[in-house]
Amino acid sequence: MAFLLRTVTASAEGREIVRTRRVEGDRLTIGRGPECDVHLTDLAVALRHAEVARSGDRLAVSVEAGLTVALDGRQVSSGSLALATGGDLRIGAHLLRFLPTPPDSGEIAVGIERVTEGEAKLGRRADRLFSLAPVLPGKRAMAWLLALLVVALCIAWPVKTFYDRQHRAERFARFQADEIWSAGHLSAAHAALQHNCSACHVKPFESVRDAACAACHRDIHGHADPFRLARAQPDLTAWGRFQLRVKQAFNLPPGRCIDCHTEHQGPQKMAPTPQRFCADCHGSLHAKLPDTRIGDAGDFGRLHPDLRPAAIVGWNGERAVLGRLAAGPGAREDNGLKFPHALHLSATGGAAQMARRLGIGRSLDCASCHRPEPEGARYQLVVMERDCASCHSLAFARSGGTVRTLRHGDPAQVIADLRDYYGFRTASPPSSLAPAARRLPGEAPAVSTRIRFEAGAHAPGPEAAIRAVFSRGGACYDCHQVEAPPAGSLAYRIHPVAFPERYVRHGWFDHRPHAAQSCGSCHQAARSNAASDLLIPGIVTCRGCHGGERTSKPVASPCAMCHSYHARPGAPAMVVRQRLRGERRAEPAAVVGEGQ
Amino acid sequence: MSARSIPRTTLGEGASHEGFLRHKSFRWAKVAILLCAGAIAGYALIDVPGRHYGGTPFGYVLGTVSVLLILWLTMLGVRKRAMTRGRWSLKGWTSAHVWLGLSLVVLATLHTGFRFAPDVHTLAWALMLLVILSGVYGIAVYAALPPALGDSRGELTRPQMVDALAKLDAQLEAAAQPLSHGQAALVRRALAEDPFAAGLVRRLSGSAPRSPTRRAIDRLQGETAVVAVLERKAAALAQVRRHLRIRALLEVWLYVHVPLTFALLAALAAHILSVFFYW
Repeated sequence: MAFLLRTVTASAEGREIVRTRRVEGDRLTIGRGPECDVHLTDLAVALRHAEVARSGDRLAVSVEAGLTVALDGRQVSSGSLALATGGDLRIGAHLLRFLPTPPDSGEIAVGIERVTEGEAKLGRRADRLFSLAPVLPGKRAMAWLLALLVVALCIAWPVKTFYDRQHRAERFARFQADEIWSAGHLSAAHAALQHNCSACHVKPFESVRDAACAACHRDIHGHADPFRLARAQPDLTAWGRFQLRVKQAFNLPPGRCIDCHTEHQGPQKMAPTPQRFCADCHGSLHAKLPDTRIGDAGDFGRLHPDLRPAAIVGWNGERAVLGRLAAGPGAREDNGLKFPHALHLSATGGAAQMARRLGIGRSLDCASCHRPEPEGARYQLVVMERDCASCHSLAFARSGGTVRTLRHGDPAQVIADLRDYYGFRTASPPSSLAPAARRLPGEAPAVSTRIRFEAGAHAPGPEAAIRAVFSRGGACYDCHQVEAPPAGSLAYRIHPVAFPERYVRHGWFDHRPHAAQSCGSCHQAARSNAASDLLIPGIVTCRGCHGGERTSKPVASPCAMCHSYHARPGAPAMVVRQRLRGERRAEPAAVVGEGQ
Repeated sequence: MSARSIPRTTLGEGASHEGFLRHKSFRWAKVAILLCAGAIAGYALIDVPGRHYGGTPFGYVLGTVSVLLILWLTMLGVRKRAMTRGRWSLKGWTSAHVWLGLSLVVLATLHTGFRFAPDVHTLAWALMLLVILSGVYGIAVYAALPPALGDSRGELTRPQMVDALAKLDAQLEAAAQPLSHGQAALVRRALAEDPFAAGLVRRLSGSAPRSPTRRAIDRLQGETAVVAVLERKAAALAQVRRHLRIRALLEVWLYVHVPLTFALLAALAAHILSVFFYW
């Protein structure tokens, strides 16, 4: 009975060295201890690790307490093998292979070898061991990974979002991938478009066009005829020409809305348009557009045409003809009215006396007749019944408790009323319903009028009354230009009266910021003896306080203070924006020395 | 006389070492400073409506210059594989890479107009800064660490260090043969201690907490022969770790610099595409 041990080791050159040894007996001790039959120089093996004993046709494997061996791949603390089939016993790094043995054989062959896994340390290239390459993912792999990640997140995803949006109407209430392309926050006015890039960026690789703006801003008015606008442009410098070339090369046509209305600048305020922006063309407009009717303007203080209000310069039948007049002293308009401002504003004249009698005040002032519009920028038209009639009565008779009044504004009705009234009466009409006969409001015609009325009882009849009303000294004649009828007729006509709604149509004037000034500091009403005096002041008056964008005058006035690029009837855009932001109060902004 | 005098040796390039930073007495540093000064002057003096940003003419110029610079800087990866001398020597190229790369901090930041937001544009800027920062780190360690790298090796070459460890392991294994199974387990774990198995953090810190070799030394105080070998192995391990640490410090920046450069190129592509897509 014996075990035939066949130990296989590898030489340094990789050659196999086989040593065979014969162990007599039916027991085989295995361990690190030199006394063991199978001496394994392996620190994973105990000094005396296991014992294999033959019993009949089996081999019993017993392991020292607390240790294990791998028997045919299973970790066990004891077990057995059939001799006929043989088996593997693994202890530490060593493999003992029991070869199949016939039951009658007296020798059991055992192959012993060291399984050298994980021992190739020296075989690896030392230089690589010291570098970081084995412990980090490769630079190339990381580069690809990161680059692809960025391409997917920052290119593919937003592009997909853009094209997805072409096919379905979305509510843009939440984040859209192409927002990461945004060049900055939108202005507060456009904040609602934050999630909808395609609202303005309609086609890829095409700059934002005015059509995109006009989709919402339908009513915005251009500045002028585009061809004239183009012709009025100042000559480009070499740098300007270069810039234009570059822009054209990059598909950026000039003159688009966004040239001025830049977006993605954050919720910042649009700056007042600088004067230079206007002066570039308007400073020498006549040189570029000889046929223009607009005077050259570059700076309110230095280069600006005189104010040319649109006033009534004549009549075409019943229609007033508007024309431009040079404002200032001497300008005359044809409003059809007779009204001496000086007489009414005099502190000593008849109007003042009447005002005192009526308890209106010591004398009349502008506010006695002129009322501001609710908004306050302008004044309402003077209305006869409201603003004049308290003094200029049209009452002509009392009938019981009722005062008979001529209808203002309807000469035919006046004629008919008078004809009827005096036609049925024996009494003659009053010879006049003259200014002297003015009454207190609500009173019957003044006593003097009545006396004259009684005295005229023998007058020739209604024709005389009608003629009296329309003739010098009559109620109509006082204020109106009366067109006499052909001889023998009574068809008197009143010349129509009209005032322009706005004298200054392409500039903006607001009375409120000027409220600290007296009316007379601009409007020379106290010296005006005729209603035809155009009391709009000239630019000289304005320049008392207003200068250009950079000025020593109290009020620096860039073009945008009175004018809008986009023609609009109301206040200029700059003023509107300043009001919205609370930068401009409706009340007088600053009290500038009186009479400047 | 003069014909017979010994001609003076002219010190050509290479006779005295001039690092890539000082190359041609800071030629590229001067170019970079000029570039930055020009950009700053332009930023301060050029009047733009509103605020400076990438979309003004000046902003486009800055952006174009910056992106061309970045593309050229990236080419160092190709260029460095061909070592040449002369006017466009690799050293000169590297010097320009460093200095012009640093100037990008100024150029690209002015291009942003100091507007930062969670968008692709700021991503590109941030990646660029990270790349530059990692490069600055690289220059710093290249200037400071190579002497330490040589010192840490002692007189050994790297394969010798690995070999020494293996030999010590063999000695240890032999010396430990008489030990009990429990003690042998300690030695076995010490044998298994592989300094090269350490990950990035361990390598960078150079630390080895709970080193099995140290533990074995502490536990096996009676076994003098084994402990002596263990002590030698601990010393060898420490030396290898020092060397590994310096190598890691020298190399780690490239693992940031190179991959982030390519991420930056992708982000730049996205940045430029986004501008023209939504033109």
